[in-house]
Amino acid sequence: MAAPCRHVGHHIQKNGRFLRVNINQLFACRSFGLTSALQQQATDLHKESKEAIVIPRKKSWNKEAVLEALASTVQRDPTAYPYQFQDDSYLSPRTSIEFKLFSLSQESGRAAAKYFVNSNPKLFTKDFAEPHIPCLMPETVALRLEEVSQEALEERISLRKVSAAVEMYDQLLQSGTAVSMETTHKLLDLICLYCDRDPVQEGTPQTEDREEEEEDRRRKPVGRQAMDFLKCTWKENNNAERIFNLLPERDARCYSALIRGMVKHGAYAKAFNLYEDLLNNRLSADVHIFNALISAVPDVRKKNNERWDLIAELLNQMNEQKVRPNLLTFNSVLKALRQCSFLAKTFSPQILNEMKALGIAPSLATYEHILTVFFYKSASSGPSNMAILQDVLMELEGTSFTCQDPNDVLFFATAMKLCLDNKDLELGYKVHSLVEVGENWRLLGDSYQQALYYGRFFNLLCLMEHIDVVLKWYSRIVPSLLYPNPQGMKNLLQALDTDSRLDLLPIIWKGPTHTARSAPPASVSINMVHFPLLSADIKSLGHDNKVDLVEELLSLMARDEHSAEVQESFAACALDVKSVFDERPKKEWSTSSLSHISILLLRANKLQKAWDMLQLFKDKNRVPS
Amino acid sequence: MYRFLSRTVCVTRNHSLCVYEGHVFSAKYDNVSRVLTGVGVNPLSTCSVRCCEKKDNAIPSNQDEATNVDTPAKITQLQEETEKVKATDRDSMQQHSNVKVEQFLSKSSQVNTDGAKSGKESLLDLLGAMKVQVTSKKRLKNLKPKQSLESAAAAMESTSSMFQKATVQASAQSEALDPDLVAAASAAASTLPNRSEAESELLKQLRQRKLLTEAQKKGDVNNLGVLLADMKVGKRSGRQNAWPTDQIRFDDDGQGYVRDRGITSELANVQKRRNIFPAKRLNIFSQTTDEQGDESALAKPTLWDIEFANELSLLTNQKPRNGFEEMIQWTKEGKLWQYPINNEIGLEDEASVPFHEHVFLEKHLEDGFPRQGPVRHFMELVVTGLAKNPYLTVEQKKEHISWFRDYFHQKEEVLNEADVYLN
Repeated sequence: MAAPCRHVGHHIQKNGRFLRVNINQLFACRSFGLTSALQQQATDLHKESKEAIVIPRKKSWNKEAVLEALASTVQRDPTAYPYQFQDDSYLSPRTSIEFKLFSLSQESGRAAAKYFVNSNPKLFTKDFAEPHIPCLMPETVALRLEEVSQEALEERISLRKVSAAVEMYDQLLQSGTAVSMETTHKLLDLICLYCDRDPVQEGTPQTEDREEEEEDRRRKPVGRQAMDFLKCTWKENNNAERIFNLLPERDARCYSALIRGMVKHGAYAKAFNLYEDLLNNRLSADVHIFNALISAVPDVRKKNNERWDLIAELLNQMNEQKVRPNLLTFNSVLKALRQCSFLAKTFSPQILNEMKALGIAPSLATYEHILTVFFYKSASSGPSNMAILQDVLMELEGTSFTCQDPNDVLFFATAMKLCLDNKDLELGYKVHSLVEVGENWRLLGDSYQQALYYGRFFNLLCLMEHIDVVLKWYSRIVPSLLYPNPQGMKNLLQALDTDSRLDLLPIIWKGPTHTARSAPPASVSINMVHFPLLSADIKSLGHDNKVDLVEELLSLMARDEHSAEVQESFAACALDVKSVFDERPKKEWSTSSLSHISILLLRANKLQKAWDMLQLFKDKNRVPS
Repeated sequence: MYRFLSRTVCVTRNHSLCVYEGHVFSAKYDNVSRVLTGVGVNPLSTCSVRCCEKKDNAIPSNQDEATNVDTPAKITQLQEETEKVKATDRDSMQQHSNVKVEQFLSKSSQVNTDGAKSGKESLLDLLGAMKVQVTSKKRLKNLKPKQSLESAAAAMESTSSMFQKATVQASAQSEALDPDLVAAASAAASTLPNRSEAESELLKQLRQRKLLTEAQKKGDVNNLGVLLADMKVGKRSGRQNAWPTDQIRFDDDGQGYVRDRGITSELANVQKRRNIFPAKRLNIFSQTTDEQGDESALAKPTLWDIEFANELSLLTNQKPRNGFEEMIQWTKEGKLWQYPINNEIGLEDEASVPFHEHVFLEKHLEDGFPRQGPVRHFMELVVTGLAKNPYLTVEQKKEHISWFRDYFHQKEEVLNEADVYLN
């Protein structure tokens, strides 16, 4: 006791001196500080009289600023279903199919309501909202102007009624009224964009085959727009061409509309012919024409070097006509280069450098094209190619992107695919950290692309990462972001196998149930502490009817002998599997799964249950091995 | 406290006289400060050691400056005090550094145990958890303590900078190094002009060498671990219907896995990034900044542009992730009352009117009103009242003023008769 007391006394003595010294100097400092402050004030007064007052600029916020700040405080809840499903707990999706079904039905319900409101505006005249909310009121989709005039034509164009607009234009021509150039441009744009067909109005009921189309589009989101428009191909002498030929004088805008429409709807050769025509008329093309033509190059030339020559020629013509390229120009060049196999590797870096020299910031689509060019044949992917991915990621690190090109949304899935193919975990983590920067997650694309991305990421983790980390990620992304498919679950099982943590198999099957909790084996109990609570398992994900997955599970459990406790939990799991099979009498028992279950039961000394299994062999006409 | 001290030191250099005065002045507060010490022991004792360390540098210079000034007795007293403080400092410093030495001795012993553990046991560990990641972690672990040891040593050197270097270092080394070696080092250092510094450098070198040898002594086992880590062992891929990416190709072409990133990435961070892409460019476009880009921006968006923007927004249109994001969406659609972001919410028609239009209304009195007299006086009062009224729009205020204008014009005759309308 004495020693600490003495120690404290020592401290007091020591610190006392210190404090005093400090206070002395503090006062010294104070007195000095005061005078200096006074002096400064005096000088400031002198200055103020001379200098003009600069009023600071007003800080302006947008109207969502408060909500954005609030939204940024909300973290994602990894255990919860996506927000759109939280209204109705009955509609919580457990599988990706259910997710698709529920979200589509939600959307279609909204569309149906909107259609009903828009088609019956007479029933919805009451306006309760104060102040008036325009978007809640029925939209005017019907035509109001009936007489033949340019205004009527403009109205039809703004409502995007293609055939009605064409009709009106013809009537105007017959009556001899001149249509202004601007309106003609708009009309041509409209016809070419929709390829001389009336677009599907939002909310209108669709015919049977249209709905199938819709379904197709959702299934194949990659280039679904292109797929959709390829169906209606450019017809010879359609209204656009007819009106174009009737025009007394044609400027570059008219050519632009036609060429873009032709490229969009698959008439590539025609587009190039029209471009020749444009040059013969001594007009200069605009950047959109070049973008369209460049993207059409792979379809008009068959050989790789011819393709590149045509691209280079177009680019040179751009420069001659003093047309400034934009991001889309270079992206379409790179996209065309993807189909030039060996030339692509030489030219794509040059194109990237050209972009940088011109001060055009590459978008994610640019990098996506370059990556696919370099990883075109996966056989040739060596360490140098991974270095490219590494370079790209290092350049992009920490940047937040906005969508500038429709292909931007493909980048993350492609990059993760490369990481998976080359089994590079570190780069995979880098890609994922890029996704987490700012609003980049918005660029993951639609639900299909997201499922692809997260599925690849999870497979990469299963292949390369330690099982504890895998399970940590599993609980973070399943089921809030990813519904693993049977293949993903198999990968998880294999990861368990490689890290010899087969004792966790019952948990993967059914979650941490009483079997695992009540009798935790000594070896497991330590690990269970670190074991994250699984948010979803095979049963809750609805994979318990996937025969091959279940067989994989059973064979892994039956392969080796384990300690008695583990065998106990395995046997319980096997019985559970059996009960699932019994519930579905249509499911066929395979010999191997039957024998696996019996082996598991025997190892756990459940003789009676094993005997029942033997009866099952007889019933199903199977022969035990 | 340290900040004050250092500030005063700075001050002493420039305004020694001023400080001197301050000292004299503050010396009167000795009593107060003594009282204060009794109170403030607890917090002080916790940070005292830190203060001691840092003060060492500051006090002597302070002291020097103080002695330069022609000092009365009080200052000498102060000086004595500081010397006493210095002495106590030295004690505490020594204690402290001893503690430190012990700390990193324990650290280094951890390293050693780490190394020792990596006998059979770690070999088993390695074989059990045969993943690239695990091994690189281990290697890092081995590296880290060494670094921290060095950095700790460096930090210690800086703290014990001015005078106690020799003693402290000796006490530190005597436990880490052979005392004979330390003695030899100090003997060698004494021949050099800057004795303490040279000695510390020598000892540092010795210490590093010792660590190195020890690391290499344990190294044979560690090397085995590294060797095993570098061997890539694939998983059983002989499973039925395995994933295509699953196929480990290392026995076919020898490059199924990428080389270990542990070292390469570190190197990449250290050295300037080697550019994969050659600096060559197409050289088709000249680098001219024409105004053409502006022209296209000024042009009205065509149907194509609208459609393109629509496509992009559809692609990035993610479902709202929480209630706030849903509210943002509603706000954008115009369905939701917007959250106020300033005091001007709901002032749609007044938003374009600057505030001075509201406040400085005298200019409306310039025509139609007399320059002086009771009417003018009355109108000035009206304008002042209007300027302070936040509930009327500018138009209403102008109407109000013009009503008075008309009124006084109508009553002009009456006012002139009364001789109050002066115009």
